[in-house]
Amino acid sequence: MRLDLTEDQEFFRATTRKFLESEVPLATVRSLYDTVDGFDRTWWQQAAELGWTSLFVPESLGGGSLSGAPATDAVIVAEEMGRLVSPGPFLAVNVVAAALAWFGSDAQQAQVLAGVLSGESIATWAFAELDGRWDAASVVTTAGLDGDSVVLDGVKAYVEAAGVADWFLVTARTGEGLTQVLVPADAPGVTVTRGRSIDMTRRFGKVALSQVRLPASAIVGKAGTAGPAVERQLHLALALQSAEMVGVAERTLEFTLEYGRERFAFGRPIVSYQALKHRIADMAVTIEGSKAVTDALATAIDTDDPKVALLASVAKAYVGEHCLDIVDDCVQITGGIGVTWEHDVHLYNRRAAVDRAMYGSPEEHKALLATNTEGAA
Amino acid sequence: MTGTTDIESVETFRARSKAWIEANLPLLSEPWVETRELQRLLFDNGYAGISYPKEYGGAGLTIEHQKAFYDIVAEQDRQVPSELMVSIGIIGPTILDNGSQELKQRFLPPLLRGDEVWMQLLSEPRGGSDMAGTTCRLKRDGDTYFLNGSKMWSSGAYHADYGLCLCRSDWDAPKHRGLSTIAVPLQGNPPGLTIERTRAVSGEAGHFCEEFFDDMPLPADNLIGEENAGWSVAQSLLFHERNAVGGIGMGYLGGWRRGGGAGAFTGIDVGPLREAAERRGVGGAVGTMIADAVISSVVDPLTSDRITLGLQLGTHKGHRGSLSKLQSSLSLHGVARAALAIEGAAALVWDGDDVQLDNAGTSWLAARGSTIAGGTSEMQRNTISERLLGLPREPAFDRDIPFNEVLRNLGKF
Ligand SMILES: Cc1cc2nc3c(=O)[nH]c(=O)nc-3n(C[C@H](O)[C@H](O)[C@H](O)COP(=O)(O)OP(=O)(O)OC[C@H]3O[C@@H](n4cnc5c(N)ncnc54)[C@H](O)[C@@H]3O)c2cc1C
Repeated sequence: MRLDLTEDQEFFRATTRKFLESEVPLATVRSLYDTVDGFDRTWWQQAAELGWTSLFVPESLGGGSLSGAPATDAVIVAEEMGRLVSPGPFLAVNVVAAALAWFGSDAQQAQVLAGVLSGESIATWAFAELDGRWDAASVVTTAGLDGDSVVLDGVKAYVEAAGVADWFLVTARTGEGLTQVLVPADAPGVTVTRGRSIDMTRRFGKVALSQVRLPASAIVGKAGTAGPAVERQLHLALALQSAEMVGVAERTLEFTLEYGRERFAFGRPIVSYQALKHRIADMAVTIEGSKAVTDALATAIDTDDPKVALLASVAKAYVGEHCLDIVDDCVQITGGIGVTWEHDVHLYNRRAAVDRAMYGSPEEHKALLATNTEGAA
Repeated sequence: MTGTTDIESVETFRARSKAWIEANLPLLSEPWVETRELQRLLFDNGYAGISYPKEYGGAGLTIEHQKAFYDIVAEQDRQVPSELMVSIGIIGPTILDNGSQELKQRFLPPLLRGDEVWMQLLSEPRGGSDMAGTTCRLKRDGDTYFLNGSKMWSSGAYHADYGLCLCRSDWDAPKHRGLSTIAVPLQGNPPGLTIERTRAVSGEAGHFCEEFFDDMPLPADNLIGEENAGWSVAQSLLFHERNAVGGIGMGYLGGWRRGGGAGAFTGIDVGPLREAAERRGVGGAVGTMIADAVISSVVDPLTSDRITLGLQLGTHKGHRGSLSKLQSSLSLHGVARAALAIEGAAALVWDGDDVQLDNAGTSWLAARGSTIAGGTSEMQRNTISERLLGLPREPAFDRDIPFNEVLRNLGKF
């Protein structure tokens, strides 16, 4: 989250935090663990009223950003969600909203965005497949062109909120190129397999597409040319995810320090021991670095900076690695109670581990950085 | 640095700086221009001490202006007198914070003009981390102080004009309350002073020196701050030092961003690592090292920019510079280690009878310098955890007792 927020953004941050604290405190997050969807649809509509789903939607369709820099606005919410490991498909919905706003036809926007805006319908992003990789080369699902139709075949996996989604933005292959298709969940040939993750509230599922035939007007942009569009969506996903991990790491450190100041061993607070203080100092460094690179990524998305791909991979590699390491070390500092259900730190460990893996692991992004200077996608 | 209304806007300053830099500053690829000469050029054109007040020879602008100037310098690969980083980024701001009006008028203009180069006399053979434990003695006799003892690791003392020296003026007071800081002239063989260059790990005559003070007389006017108030001066010095090393605030001087090329995130140059990896065809683990270097080269400057902005906006306070100092010094060490690993045997062995220094092996030998100089990584971690995060301080056995009762090094120190 940028340091130089506008007044509107500052207000948005404050209302978002208040809303999360009062509507989905950690006790609620814990109870959502036992629900199938992991979030409450009425609550999601309240969140939508606060503007969570409107940031990327054009003003002509009732949306609008706070500052003209929607990614910068959106990372504010993502970071706050990280602080309270909040439920809701914020990332997936906004990536699809942005994709339609950036690349969709008027008809597609009209068809999908009104429901997304109000929170009544959920649109989600279906990019990865069974091998769990978020790169173009791994897409084997096909989008065949047949007259005025497009026909989809394949299986999309790791699809967030698949079980409740009304729309899937499916990335498929047409020959050498990529094609994105807007698929209604009830289209013939679509089979959704619901799934869970180690996260308390975040659910992922598989979407099998068997001879799913849709009118060509369901194609977002032009068939076979969606490569750059998909990259841009991935950059946004990584920005939102990095911001969430910043919130996860910072909040985990905060409550670990509160605990460590009050917990005594050998007559002194445990966090007075240098062995712990020095690790905590290193965490403060990487949290500051994580914030800096996340902000830079969001700004790069908003300004179409040519360095955006590099920043996206650097952000994921850096924040993804350090966030989980911080949470992990906070478990160690917390001691035995840190590996119980009762203590909250596992809620953060769950989210950090899932975030680390989704949309490309730090290792995968490092592999990109090692061989080319461009980074993600 | 307030009253932004009557100050030139950053935009117009940027435009005029850009034109001036293009027309006047030599490129990095051009022959090296002598530091003092280059500084004089900046001074004569109003670009020395951009965020220093006008009355002391500065441009009277803000850190934002300073940042704009040095960003253009970095973008355009221009030379700046980066050897003056200590004078302008550390000592000058410390004198500004602590000196009397007369002292500032005496020392700051020649410092900004490049006529008087400064360095720090803090560490001693006895130790560097425990700076306040200095055992250099300062004793007053009338209008003159006399200095006894020795300092060590003093970077550039052999060619500097002045050293800012931390010493003990009261041995009966507790550790931090008996300290003073004083300007020590170093050139022209002043009486009572011997300077020896230390041989560096490369085997060459070192950049650092050891000084021996034997009843060295110093005018009382050279005292910076009050007698026995040296600890607060030292703390402000450490603050500016961390900032300068981290490229923050008044320490945003371009030196550390050097050589990045237009638009690049600079500081660390990953190019040679990639070239070596390609040459030698080593994959796997090496790729991770290169990626880590890329990550540092992007994240470190963004982090110091964020802290600079935070200090400006007031969202960040105090000791944030330690975050950047710790981060960037660890990165530099990491890159030296990566170079050693990637270049392999060829970095360590060469043909012929001459010693060669320009190789990853020799750089490796000095790589810990960054995590030791300017306060070790451990000391930065103490500062971050105690001052920034407010965690309990380390127990100490030397507080609140007269310093002459404190336990000190055993044996030969
Ligand atoms: C390249 C370079 C340039 C330098 N330039 C200058 C200069 O211009 N002027 C100047 O005055 N000095 C300079 N120094 C000296 C530098 O500041 C000291 O080396 C440094 O402060 C450490 O002091 P020391 O070497 O005496 O190590 P010590 O203080 O003896 O420390 C030894 C080890 O103990 C650790 N340690 C000490 N105290 C603690 C603690 N409380 N908690 C945890 N660990 C601790 C240290 O981290 C270190 O690992 C320079 C050093 C280098 C390498």
